[in-house]
Amino acid sequence: MGSLFRSETMCLAQLFLQSGTAYECLSALGEKGLVQFRDLNQNVSSFQRKFVGEVKRCEELERILAYLVQEINRADIPLPEGETSPPAPPLKQVLEMQEQLQKLEVELREVTKNKEKLRKNLLELIEYTHMLRVTKTFVKRNVEFEPTYEEFPPLENDSLLDYSCMQRLGAKLGFVSGLINQGKVEAFEKMLWRVCKGYTIVTYAELDEPLEDPETGEVIKWYVFLISFWGEQIGHKVKKICDCYHCHVYPYPNTAEERKEIQEGLNTRIQDLYTVLHKTEDYLRQVLCKAAESVYSHVIQVKKMKAIYHMLNMCSFDVTNKCLIAEVWCPEANLHDLRRALEDGSRESGATIPSFMNTIPTKETPPTLIRTNKFTEGFQNIVDAYGVGSYREVNPAVFTIVTFPFLFAVMFGDFGHGFVMFLFALLLVLNENHPRLKQSQEIMRMFFNGRYILLLMGLFSVYTGLIYNDCFSKSVNLFGSGWNVSAMYSSSHGPAERRRTVLWNDSVVRRSRVLQLDPSVPGVFQGPYPLGIDPIWNLATNRLTFLNSFKMKMSVILGIIHMTFGVILGIFNHLHFRKKFNIYLVSVPELLFMLCIFGYLIFMIVYKWLVYSAETSRVAPSILIEFINMFLFPASETNGLYAGQEHVQRLLLAVTALSVPVLFLGKPLFLLWLHNGRSCFGVSRSGYTLIRKDSEEEVSLLGSQDIEEGNNQMEDGCREMTCEEFNFGEILMTQVIHSIEYCLGCISNTASYLRLWALSLAHAQLSDVLWTMLVRVGLRVDTTYGVLLLLPVIALFAVLTIFILLIMEGLSAFLHAIRLHWVEFQNKFYVGAGTKFVPFSFRLLSSKFSDDVA
Amino acid sequence: MLEGAEFYFNVDHGYLEGLVRGCKASLLTQQDYINLVQCETLEDVKIHLQTTDYGNFLANETNPLTVSKIDMEMRKKLCREFEYFRNHSLEPLSTFFTYMTCSYMIDNVILLMNGALQKKSVKEILAKCHPLGRFTEMEAVNIAETPSDLFNAVLVETPLAPFFQDCMSENTLDELNIELLRNKLYKSYLEAFYKFCKNHGDVTAEIMCPILEFEADRRAFIITLNSFGTELSKDDRETLYPTCGKLYPEGLRLLAQAEDFDQMRRVAEHYGVYKPLFEAVGDGSGGKTLEDVFYEHEVQMNVLAFNRQFHYGVFYAYTKLKEQEMRNIVWIAECISQRHRTKINSYIPI
Repeated sequence: MGSLFRSETMCLAQLFLQSGTAYECLSALGEKGLVQFRDLNQNVSSFQRKFVGEVKRCEELERILAYLVQEINRADIPLPEGETSPPAPPLKQVLEMQEQLQKLEVELREVTKNKEKLRKNLLELIEYTHMLRVTKTFVKRNVEFEPTYEEFPPLENDSLLDYSCMQRLGAKLGFVSGLINQGKVEAFEKMLWRVCKGYTIVTYAELDEPLEDPETGEVIKWYVFLISFWGEQIGHKVKKICDCYHCHVYPYPNTAEERKEIQEGLNTRIQDLYTVLHKTEDYLRQVLCKAAESVYSHVIQVKKMKAIYHMLNMCSFDVTNKCLIAEVWCPEANLHDLRRALEDGSRESGATIPSFMNTIPTKETPPTLIRTNKFTEGFQNIVDAYGVGSYREVNPAVFTIVTFPFLFAVMFGDFGHGFVMFLFALLLVLNENHPRLKQSQEIMRMFFNGRYILLLMGLFSVYTGLIYNDCFSKSVNLFGSGWNVSAMYSSSHGPAERRRTVLWNDSVVRRSRVLQLDPSVPGVFQGPYPLGIDPIWNLATNRLTFLNSFKMKMSVILGIIHMTFGVILGIFNHLHFRKKFNIYLVSVPELLFMLCIFGYLIFMIVYKWLVYSAETSRVAPSILIEFINMFLFPASETNGLYAGQEHVQRLLLAVTALSVPVLFLGKPLFLLWLHNGRSCFGVSRSGYTLIRKDSEEEVSLLGSQDIEEGNNQMEDGCREMTCEEFNFGEILMTQVIHSIEYCLGCISNTASYLRLWALSLAHAQLSDVLWTMLVRVGLRVDTTYGVLLLLPVIALFAVLTIFILLIMEGLSAFLHAIRLHWVEFQNKFYVGAGTKFVPFSFRLLSSKFSDDVA
Repeated sequence: MLEGAEFYFNVDHGYLEGLVRGCKASLLTQQDYINLVQCETLEDVKIHLQTTDYGNFLANETNPLTVSKIDMEMRKKLCREFEYFRNHSLEPLSTFFTYMTCSYMIDNVILLMNGALQKKSVKEILAKCHPLGRFTEMEAVNIAETPSDLFNAVLVETPLAPFFQDCMSENTLDELNIELLRNKLYKSYLEAFYKFCKNHGDVTAEIMCPILEFEADRRAFIITLNSFGTELSKDDRETLYPTCGKLYPEGLRLLAQAEDFDQMRRVAEHYGVYKPLFEAVGDGSGGKTLEDVFYEHEVQMNVLAFNRQFHYGVFYAYTKLKEQEMRNIVWIAECISQRHRTKINSYIPI
């Protein structure tokens, strides 16, 4: 609790790292993750820093490793991920590692290059065989007609006419054949036609099996084509066009024998290539397997090394160039660990002079560190999403742990739904070490990270569900209702009673559709139900009216308590920052303003609940009217809640009215007085006023130690420079804006808490609708097959309950609960203008392969 | 097109406009240039570029780093962005994008034909082609021997086809003719683009027309400057001038008659826009070249294009600014790698 209530005290420390041991020291620090480094070379561009060369070397190594991982993944070799993360490599090993990796890369590149070449070769050969096989059909036709070229060609075959005519003219008939990408066929043909003006004949056939494209590695469909052309010049053009469309052109055998010969040659070569390729692949696999063993630790090591050099780049060099000076933020509690880490680092590297540190006073605002565990983390995240707390400010996360699930549950009150949610969260919590959950994707991950929030939300919903007596929109009669219907019958009462009140008899019961129970009749109301709402209300037609009144009042009461608590937390802040005047001039008037109006409202609500019973309920005044009358002073007297009500109300109103000007003007005038007082009293009291001044300015954030040193002349000099110019107008302006916001906020925020009522109403009504529309319809069928009908009805009910009531409604209640915390609660005291403490820690480096491949 | 782009522009193009404005924010700042100029080696340049939006785009390059590798990677990055814009665009923005790529396509075609003339291999030249102007038929360009051949066989189905109407001829493609072809293509391209923007109307026209007018006039000046002392006749020269600029028609006629730089300067003095530009040109030693001055003016116009919303000009402007940035980085990198630091500061700030 102590550490969660305020962020930890930080101090600025200077590390003097001997240049020989700096690397080891930082490695030790990075393992522990103790400190946040400050960039001392902010105006030095990234390539002019000291350790650029080393960073470059790390990048080179990363490039090689990325290549290795890519190759290993492509070969489908599993990458073992080590459990422990190896420490950053000692400097001596780095060179060795680099050499080793570079050698490996060169070897790998060569082997893969060879492999690719072989594959390409093989592909070409396969393509060639395919081409030969397919074009055989074209050729057969050709051969058939060959003997006929002396005769007159049959006129009906146009393509034949071309062949034979050309051959008869003695011109040289040429062939170009090859494979072409399926998508390019059409354009290819068109261009051939246009360029060669029809002096070519193109024959196509689709290849039945898709082949790999040697350039891109994609598997695509190919077409085999055969172009017959006439003349040398056209041949050149055809070849150029083939080049243009990236056709794979292969020599076309002229005779059948030649074809056979080529085919046989090809087959043997393909066989040979297959064996060679297999050998190469085996070898490659061996190399990769060996590399895969160490690649994980190498990746981690290089990442750590790079991180260390990045940090070293933030350090500045000493004048003598012998040691590096780093400035770090460190939590005071960890200073001891820091010292030890530095000693360890120095010892490891065997340095003669150890690295050391000292703390330096500073006026800068340190970063905010709030240590969390897996339980508080989620709640802290809710607060941090609004804004990281200022240094040493009260941290609302502590209270959020309780108030957040509670406010959620008020809106989500149904113990059936709450229990389901609780079970789901429990499942997550019990299995939180399961690796699949830890690496789950977005939405599931969201649930997983908020599992403890969900757990508490479910638990609180069970509680509020019991109070509302709602279980899937039905009430549960656990203890027996406190109402007795039979007591309303006239027969059970004496004649005196019968005369005084309206009682039921048979004719009344038969005639009227709606009957009213009267609690003032003895025996009808036997005392309140032990826990929550009486289940008899589930049957009542005026249930909604009753619940609305109850929930509305409850929301207002909860809201005002919540906000008042926020203002009180503000007092803790002022106390801590030594701004006592803020308590008297801001917090107390704020409290008075809130309590005198809305606190009184709560008082009236509770008073009316306690004082008026069923018998006197007819004379009970309306709180709304009373509350309005408090401000309007009506001429006509009303019979109030209690004697002397008017005077009390006048007094409260006067206090409210008085607190407003104090709120508006108190702080600015006080500051002005302080400012003038200091200049009036002059030199003799400067020491005293200085301390006072400190307490009002942000400087006091430094903590007590600096205040004690207030007499130190040099310190004074520094501090005075940082003191902001006193600007009365600005302070007045800020305070006025703040006050207006607060005063209006009291009203609007109270109204805003009515969302508790509205959402809880919506939730109850929605679950009621779901029940009446589905389950009741299912239950109404009372024949035998009704059982069969009930099954899908219940299934649908379950699905809709989960998706609409649990997820959708749950999300909306969640959002509203967040809003109530961020806006209504936190704006009463929380500044949230801090920066988060981000330690230099190796644990924050990702240890996944996927990240460095991408 | 109806007026009032703000009512419906975002329906189709809002996403892309937002995207391109975000991309524009990633252009290097003055501070980045100051840091880049201080670099000692290309490695330093790489490290500095890593801190900008370029990220580790050079991470997978093996050593040693060269200027051309940097240039190539930058081009690839621009190309990726452009392709993304183009793939997500709807009409008429996609037509606009097609127009934008046309200028690169013209350059590529001319480059390839020049290469074929000098008997260089297609592969070698392909590497030099701008990736934005890449198209499949491109590699077959060297089949053609005359412009009409080129049109009929290769380019008839590309977006470049409509620009060919003026330059169908049976002349063989020697160096001069190729240059003429380029200028004629460019002339009809610019005129068509100008017409497209004008017809589109609204803010797009208000932004794009001045930019294209300037582009046309710049071409006219450059053509004039380059034709001094060549065999190009004055009449031929006049046919090459794009006619959609501010110089049209009187200025172009005067330009056609100009015989040296001073006469050209006198022509420019009639125009308020170009007078200060020509005054900024240094004489001979030191000072800025005419080209640099034009670039600076272009950058200025492109930056101003971002001040208006709901128009296509931002895409054009972004691409041009990015190109200028790439030119700057390449310039600085060249200066560094050639140890020629005296001129390193003459990049064009954006």
